[in-house]
Amino acid sequence: MKFLKIWRTFKEGLKNFSRHWWLSFATIIILTLSLYVVSVAALLGIAANSIIKNIQDKINISVYFNPEVSEKEILKIKDDLKIYQEIKSVEYISQNQALDEFVASENNDPIINQALEEIDENPLLSSLVITAHNPNQYEIIAQAVEGSGFRDKINQINYEKNKATIENLNKIVGLTEKAGLILGTIFLLIAVLITFNTIRLNMYSRKKEFEIMRLVGASNLYVQMPSIFEGIFYGICAAVSAMAFLLITARLIAPLTKGALQEGDLLSFCFQYFWIIFAGIIMLGIILGMVSSFIAIRRYLKI
Amino acid sequence: MIKFEKVSKVFLGDFVALENINLLIKKGEFVSIVGHSGAGKTTLLKLIYAEEQPTSGKVYFKDRDVSTIKKKHVPYFRRNIGMVFQDFKLLSEKTVFENVAYALEVAGKSNQEISEEVPGILDIVGLSNKMEKYPEQLSGGEQQKVSMARALIHCPSVIIADEPTGNLDPTSSWEIVQLLIKINGMGTTVILATHDKEVVNKANKRVVVLEKGKIASDIKKGKYTV
Repeated sequence: MKFLKIWRTFKEGLKNFSRHWWLSFATIIILTLSLYVVSVAALLGIAANSIIKNIQDKINISVYFNPEVSEKEILKIKDDLKIYQEIKSVEYISQNQALDEFVASENNDPIINQALEEIDENPLLSSLVITAHNPNQYEIIAQAVEGSGFRDKINQINYEKNKATIENLNKIVGLTEKAGLILGTIFLLIAVLITFNTIRLNMYSRKKEFEIMRLVGASNLYVQMPSIFEGIFYGICAAVSAMAFLLITARLIAPLTKGALQEGDLLSFCFQYFWIIFAGIIMLGIILGMVSSFIAIRRYLKI
Repeated sequence: MIKFEKVSKVFLGDFVALENINLLIKKGEFVSIVGHSGAGKTTLLKLIYAEEQPTSGKVYFKDRDVSTIKKKHVPYFRRNIGMVFQDFKLLSEKTVFENVAYALEVAGKSNQEISEEVPGILDIVGLSNKMEKYPEQLSGGEQQKVSMARALIHCPSVIIADEPTGNLDPTSSWEIVQLLIKINGMGTTVILATHDKEVVNKANKRVVVLEKGKIASDIKKGKYTV
C-alpha cells in the first residue's frame, strides 16, 4: 500500500515536472546558478588550499655544518632531530650532493665549471634540510637548533633568510581559510534564499490545486510528495548542468593553475575528484530542491 | 447524524458568521440551507467538514465531536463526506477519469479497483462517454457532474453541496438537483446550500433558512421564503 502511494506520487511529480516545463526550466536555471556559485567558491577554496599545501611542502630550512664536521656526526644529529614532533622530515645533503645540485641548477654553466676547477675544492657545505609539519613551527625549530648542544658545529641556519617568506605564507593561509569560509557561507545562504523563493513562486501558482487535493481527502503528505519529488528532479538536473559549467570554468582557469597543484592543474584536479565533487553538488541540489519544496508547500496545507 | 449544539462562529474583526445555531440533521435527510449571500451558509458547511472550527458550541458528525479530530486525521475524516462546490474544484490538468480516480488514489485503492469503480460512477452521472476529456472541454453542468461523481465515489454517508447550481443554467441546475435527489433516494444524506429559488421549490424538501447567522425558520417540506 505504501509503495503504491510512493509510486503514484513519484509519477505525479514526474508528470508535473514535464507538464510545467517552463516553470521547471526557470527553477532549474536558478538552482544551477546557485549550485554553480557555491561549487566554484568551494572548488577555489579547495584548490587554494592545495596550492598552499604544495608551496608549504617546498618550504624548508637548511642547517649548514662547518667543513670539519664529519658525515657520521651529521647523521647522528639528523637522528637526534627526528625526535621533535614538529619536524616532518630531515634530509642529509653531502658536500658532493650539494655541488652536483648546484651545477645542475646552473645548467652546467661553463664559467661556473671553470671557476670551480680553479678553486680546486668543493666550496659548499654539508647540510641538513628540515621540513616541518606546519610552516608556523619553523621559528621553534630554528630556535631549538640554535640552542642545541651542536651549535658550535653549525656554520649557518638559513631560517632568517626564509623567515619573511614563511611568515607571509602563514598569513595567506590564515586569510584564505577565513575568506573561503565567510564567502562560502554567504554564497550558500544566497543560494538557499534564491532557490527557496523560486520554488515558493512555483508552488504559489498551484495553490488552488493543493486546496482541491486536500478537500478530496488527500493527506498532507500525499499532496506534498509529488512536489518533493519535483524538488529532487530539479536538484538532479541542476547538479548535472552546474557540474558541466564547473568543468568548463576549470578548463578556462586551468592554464593559470598549471604546476601550482599537486594534481597538475585545476582541470585535472576536477577530474581526479570528479565523483566526490559531483556527489557533493547532487546532494546539495537535492537537499536544496527537496527542502525548499517541502517548506514552500506547507503554507498551502494549513499545517 | 449531524448535530449543531449552540454553535457560534466569529471571524477576525468581530464578524459574526453564525450565532447560537442548534440544528439536527438525520440520516437520509435532504436539507436545503437557504439564505442571502453572507448569511452563513458556507461557514455552516465548512464546520461540518472541519475546514473551520466553531468559536463556541459543538458540531457532531455521527456522534463524534468534529473539533476533537486531529489535523492529520482530517483528510481521512473527509473521505466520509462527499463535497460539491459552486466552482467545481476540478483538477484542470487531469481528465474526467483521473479527477474521479484521484479521490480513490489518495485512499490507497488499487489500480484494478479504480478501473472498475470509476466508469461505474461516471455512468451514473451520465458522463461515461467523456472520460478522457479535460474539464475545460466540458460544459458547466458536465463539470459539476464530474465533481458529483468524485464526491460519490467513496459511497459517502453525506453529500455536502455548496451552491452547486450557482454557475449553471436552469436546465443544468435541475439536472444536478435531480441527481442529488436520486442519490438521496439511495439513502445518502444530502445538505444543499443554495439561494436558487427554483431549485429549492422543485426539490420540495426540508428547508432551513439562515438570516444574518441565525436560523430564521426550519420547515419540513418548505418553499423558498427569503
